[in-house]
Parts: sequence; structure tokens; C-alpha cells
Amino acid sequence: MENPESPQKFVVPIGPQHPALKEPAHFEFSVDGEIVTGASVRLGYVHRGIEKAAEARNYPQGLYLVERVCGICSHVHALSFALGTEKLAKVVAPPRAQAIRVLTSELERLHSHMLWLGVAAHEGGFDTLFMYSWRDRETVMDLLEQMTGNRVNYSINIIGGVKQDVSDEIKTAILKGMDFLEGRMTHYLTVVTTDETFLGRTRDVGVMTREQAETLGPVGPTARASGVPIDVRVDSPYAGYVDFPVNLIVDDGCDLLARFVVRIKEMQESIRLIREILDHLPEGELAVRVPRRIPENEIIQRVEAPRGELFYYMKSNGTDMPERVKIRTPSLCNWASVINLAPGYKLADMPMILAGIDPCFSCNDR
Amino acid sequence: MELETALQSAETLLQPLAVEIKRPEPERVDVYITLENLKPAVQTLVDAHWGYLAAITGVDKPAPAVAGAAPDGDVEVLYTFANGGALATLRVRAPYTDAQIPTICDIIPAATLFERELIEMLGVDCIGTPDRGHLILPDEWPEGVYPLRKSFTGLNQE
Amino acid sequence: MELSLHPIILLLFFPGGLFLFVAGLLYEWVDRKLVAQYQNRIGPRFIQPLADIIKLLAKEEIVPDGVHKGLFIALPIVGLASALAAALYVPLVGFNPSYSFNGDLIVVVYLLSVMTLCLGLAGANTADRFSLVGATRTLTQLFSYEAPFMLSLLGPAIVAGTWQISEINAFAIESRPWWFAFTQIVGFLVAMVGLMGKLEMPPFDAPEAETEIVAGALTEYSGRGLALFRLGKDVELVIGLTLIAAFFMGGLANPLDFLWKTAILILVVAALQSLFARLRIDQTVGLWWRAGALLALLQLLAIILGRYLQPVLSQFFSGLFGG
Repeated sequence: MENPESPQKFVVPIGPQHPALKEPAHFEFSVDGEIVTGASVRLGYVHRGIEKAAEARNYPQGLYLVERVCGICSHVHALSFALGTEKLAKVVAPPRAQAIRVLTSELERLHSHMLWLGVAAHEGGFDTLFMYSWRDRETVMDLLEQMTGNRVNYSINIIGGVKQDVSDEIKTAILKGMDFLEGRMTHYLTVVTTDETFLGRTRDVGVMTREQAETLGPVGPTARASGVPIDVRVDSPYAGYVDFPVNLIVDDGCDLLARFVVRIKEMQESIRLIREILDHLPEGELAVRVPRRIPENEIIQRVEAPRGELFYYMKSNGTDMPERVKIRTPSLCNWASVINLAPGYKLADMPMILAGIDPCFSCNDR
Repeated sequence: MELETALQSAETLLQPLAVEIKRPEPERVDVYITLENLKPAVQTLVDAHWGYLAAITGVDKPAPAVAGAAPDGDVEVLYTFANGGALATLRVRAPYTDAQIPTICDIIPAATLFERELIEMLGVDCIGTPDRGHLILPDEWPEGVYPLRKSFTGLNQE
Repeated sequence: MELSLHPIILLLFFPGGLFLFVAGLLYEWVDRKLVAQYQNRIGPRFIQPLADIIKLLAKEEIVPDGVHKGLFIALPIVGLASALAAALYVPLVGFNPSYSFNGDLIVVVYLLSVMTLCLGLAGANTADRFSLVGATRTLTQLFSYEAPFMLSLLGPAIVAGTWQISEINAFAIESRPWWFAFTQIVGFLVAMVGLMGKLEMPPFDAPEAETEIVAGALTEYSGRGLALFRLGKDVELVIGLTLIAAFFMGGLANPLDFLWKTAILILVVAALQSLFARLRIDQTVGLWWRAGALLALLQLLAIILGRYLQPVLSQFFSGLFGG
């Protein structure tokens, strides 16, 4: 292993510009033929200094700012910031607002997982699945646009509640969309678990046992696919999840296939939850007044983004601008799993292993 | 309640090492410790399988500085562990004059990414950390400039 | 059907040369449109492949540092030229091949492989990591499907008792309605899939896996070189389909035959492209050497046995029924 007679090592760089990556990052895989022997990652290509910028803006401005940390999971960032500020100010948003927040979170989870399904299929060369899942994703995007006015960056949160209400037409439209998507989810689950060529690319690839998962510290579907039962919505329910609980989806497969299965089942769970929320949407106000200056306080708010646990630490100092906003995104926790698991697999599996953790580079870099 | 038992067990585990223990929120317990006790405290939590490391947060706390005098503040570093719904935070302070804390990467290897960010953004050195490379700052970033410190208001060069 | 035209016209315009280019572009369009329809998309307009080639030809050709300049420029030309040369021996558009001699089956298969070799050499020539990995994969794939592909084409050749494509074509026309696709179904399947491997179509596109190695062997090519390689692939598509249709689908007697038989084949090829995820290179090799070669050999064995046992069997059956 040490001191090879003739250096067989060959470094294949992936990124910052690469068709496999949707955002810039730099990976270096040392390969020996087709087998990967080492991996390293360099992040930071989209660092925008959002944490620092939040300290120079007041809370409502900060809400818009953190929404733009990521395009795919923008709502959970804003949700976490809003919930955190409300905690700092010791107010609670009304139940209808909390329910609408959860509704949007679950719709976002649907669109994010479908986006991921398509991208992961594309990485595996299965373009047909890519096209179909993105076609179905349009259903969710149209619903979100109808509900909030925007396909991305919904901006439905305000400090103290939500901005938009869910009218009866929107309710009917969402329920119809859910009926359609439910059939599609069953179909995708069948495809992913029974298509032979697809299984050949995902079964026993990127295996991370439960012990490894507990040491390496991944969160979200990546951890749940290795049997680790962590989910902020279940462990520490926030917003509407107190009234509308979620079932924990765990799989023991530990490989890439398990990650696919977990996410598709989560989508089915989201559909169920959306229907339940719409059936029992509580009446009431949409928002509550929050003072402009927030007294000195310090809180931690955790939220379940589509990729895993999102951690916000916020500190106020009596003015209308936060003292410190710390954002720890789920993708940051999941990197260790890729870097440590990559050696031993083939180069052709690298894009799929990377895609398996659903990396969001904008989230990492902030 | 499970939350309460988890918090209680964290308190019992960390009692001997703590300077002070507070309950700022219903699901949180804050444990103030000194720098020497950081690694033993982390080791205790890991040995007892008390949750996982959720985040390492650095908070810049500059003392009110007299005009012209060197800042005499410190950086508070919070190690937050999550166990179900319970959160236990270990709090240590690293003064500006001696901004060093021991690394916990030998106990929790996954902490390296968090420590890299702490080193480059707040200027707190983690002694013994395996990788000191920039995580999110560009390669050409000037040495000694720490963006998340309150004293940093922008790169004025070029 | 016989075609008597001046050799220069045969070579440059019809059915070789210019016509072959147009046919290649047309078939590429049909393939892309069909794949798009399978994927629930609309797909490109019929002029798209031509537009692609024109655009590429108009672009600057960048020769990267560290390559052998002569090879870099020559390889696409050689690849295209060999594909065009192969067209002279197959019954293109249903007319008898322009030139024909005993043993031209081997020559044609070889000429079709020259294209893949050029691709691999082009990748190896470039000093770029992605191209090297792509070149390795291209050549690995070449080694794996070449044997089964040849073996499967030998099936009809053995039954026809000749190595000359025009005579195999004539034999296939005579033995209608017994298409070799039915009597040698295993060979037919192996040949179809072999063609997809040769053309690096999904699911056998590991050598140019876009999400792994950018564009494989062709990563550093742009402009004219890329246009010529693409044209070469399109021409190979047409020739490959012609060959398979001539051998396995009852021969090509006239242009109408050519049209509808190759149309069916391209429908199947497009469907196969959309149905599967990409196979890793080791899976491709494994598939070919284990399943492909074995199946092709079994098919050949069946044919050879059939020939030897034919007198015995026919006596047996006539005794049984003729009584």
C-alpha cells in the first residue's frame, strides 16, 4: 500500500465545472484504473457571507436574506429564521399560520425530493426517469405558484406568521395534485426497486453501516437510510408538526438504493400529511405582531429540511438587528460520509454516491 | 417525559466538569466549562452515547474597547449535542489574546469541517485539528483577517 | 436491385457520399425524436442534426497542448473515411452493393471498427484525464462486444454458405418468408445490442458518460473534428441498420424494403435506449463476455448442427409424413 513501485495514482478532478455538478465544488479522486483510492473536497465556491450580512440587517430583512441561502430549500431557512425570531421575542404564531407553514414545508419537500430523483437518475444515465420525475415535479411547482405567487423562494413567512392564506380553490387544486402524485410515487417506488439496470447501479453502492453512520454524523435521509432514526419533525416537533405529527421513515438497506427508497417513501408521507392538514386547517389569524426591537436572548432552532437537520443559533441584543445568526446546514454534516466512503468504489459510482447525499452547495457555503 | 430524562442525564454526566449549568429553554441545557475540561466533557457525552454533535458555533464577544487600545474580548464557542429533542451545549471561552482551544476531532472525526470553519471565520485555533485548509473562504484570503469578528467590516484592499 | 451508375457518382453522391451523409443525419433525427417521445418530450425538428453539423463546422478548432497535432486532425477524417468505405459493400437503400467480392463481410466489420479505434486513439492522444478514461472505456467496450457481434453476423453467413454480403443478401431474399430474425432470433438480438454498443448508445454509453467524464474520448474535440466524428457515427448507424436488416430481416431487394425495415429497427433501438440506466463499464464487459459471447456461440452451434443434421432430419420427417 505504501510506496508503489510505479505510481499508479491518477487524480481525476471533478469540478468546479462539470456536467455532473449543478453547483460549483471541487472534488479530487485519486484513481487506480477505475477504482477510487482517495477523495478530497474543496467547498466555498458560492460563499456569500450570509451570516455576516444578517448581522447588518434587521429581522425582516434578514428573513429575505436567509431565504436565499438555497433555492431548493429556501422555505425551511426562512421558517427557521422566523421561528427563531419569534422564540427570541417570546411570541407564538397563531395555529393557522403554523399549519400553513407546515403545508408549504411539505410541498417543498415534495419538489426537492423529485428534483433529487431526477438528478440522481441523470447521474446514473437513466434519462427517462429524469424526464418523467421532472415532468411530475411541475405539478408541485404549479401548486406552489398558485399558493404563494412564486415557484422558488416562496416568501410566505413573515416574523409572526404567514403572508398568504389558503383559499378553497387552492385547497381543491392541491388535493387534485396530490391524487395525481400519489399514483406517480407508487410507480417510482416500483421502478426504483425493480428495474435491473438501475439496481445494478444502486444496490450495494456507497454502503454506510449504522455504526459508521453514528460516527460520521450524517443527518436526514442519508442517515435514515442507514437505520439511524433521527428526524427533527419527530424528535423535536416545531410549528404545525405538534398538531400534525409525521411518521419516521427508516430503512436498513444502508446503500444507495435505501436512500432512494427512503426519499420516495418520505414523499408518500408528505402527500398524506398535506391531505391531513388541508382537511383540518385551523381557523384564525394569519400573523401576530412582533416588536421591532427584540430583547436580549439566545435560542437554538432546529428544522427538518429536505436534506436533513437544519440548525439555527440566533442571539439578539435588544436592537432591531440580530447579534449573531449561525446557520449549520444539513449538507455540511453529510460530506464526511462521502469522503470516507468513496475509496474502494469505481469512478463510475462517484457521481451517484455524491448525488445520494443530495448535496446542496449553496447551503454549505452560505 | 423523555426530553426531561435526557436533559437530566446530560446534567448528571457533566456535573463534575461544569462551572455552571443553566436551562435557558425547555429543551436546552447549557453547561459552562473551562478549556481544560472541554475534551473530557465531550468524551463523557460520546462514551454515554448521548446524541450526536449537531454544530460548533462561534460567537464573537468583543469587550467594549477604548479607542486605540487592543480589543480585550473573547470568542465563545458552543458545542451543541442533540439527543432526540434535547439539546446540550458545552460553552467555552477563548480570549482574543490566546485564541486556542483543543480539537475534538480525535473523539468525533466528523467535527473537522466545523472546526475548519471556526478557524478561518473567527480566528480560533483548534490545536491538533487534522485539516486546517479553508473551508469556505477563497484561497487568496489574507491571513489573520477573520470575517465573522465584529471588528471586520470589509476587505479594504484593492 | 441493380444500380448502374458511373463509379464516381456511386462514390460521391448516391448511394455513398452525400446521400449517405443526408441519410445519416435523417436517421439521427429519427432516433432523437423517438427517444424524446418515449421520454414524454417533444424532441428536435428534422433540421436539427444538420444545424448541429453546420454549427460545429463553423466553430474554431482548438488543438490542445501536448497532443500530436497530426493525429489530432487526422483521426476524425480516417474514422469518417472508413465508415464511408464500408458503405460500398452493403446493400444501401436496397440496391446491390457497388463493389462486392468474396470475404467482404470481414472487411466491412473491420472498417466499422476502425471508427471506434480512431475514437479510442483520439482520446488516448489527448493529455486530458477525462479523455484518457474515456479512451480506456471505448477500447474496453470494443474488445467486449466485437466478438459477439461478429459471431452473430456469421450466423446468416454460414447458412447462406458465403462470406460475401451481396450473396448473403440474395440468399435472404430467396429464403423469404423465413427471416433469419425468426430462425436465428438469438443471433438477431445479439447483433442489435452489439450495434448499440458499437455506436455507444445508451445504455452502453459508459465511454462518453456525460455525468462522469464530461464527454469521454471526445472531450477536447470541438469544431470540425467533432463534426466529423459525429457524422461518422451517423453513417455507421445507417450502415449498421442496413446490415442487420439485410441479414436478419429477409434481405433488401428494393428501396421500399430498406425504408420500412430500417424504420422498424430504429424504433426498437430508440426504445432500448430509453428503457435502461447506463451500464457501468465493468457491467458492460461482464454482460458481453458472459451473456453475449455465450449466446452467439450457442446460436452458431445450433446452426452448424442444423446443417449437419439436415439430411438426416429431412429423411426422418419425410419418412414420417411422406410415408
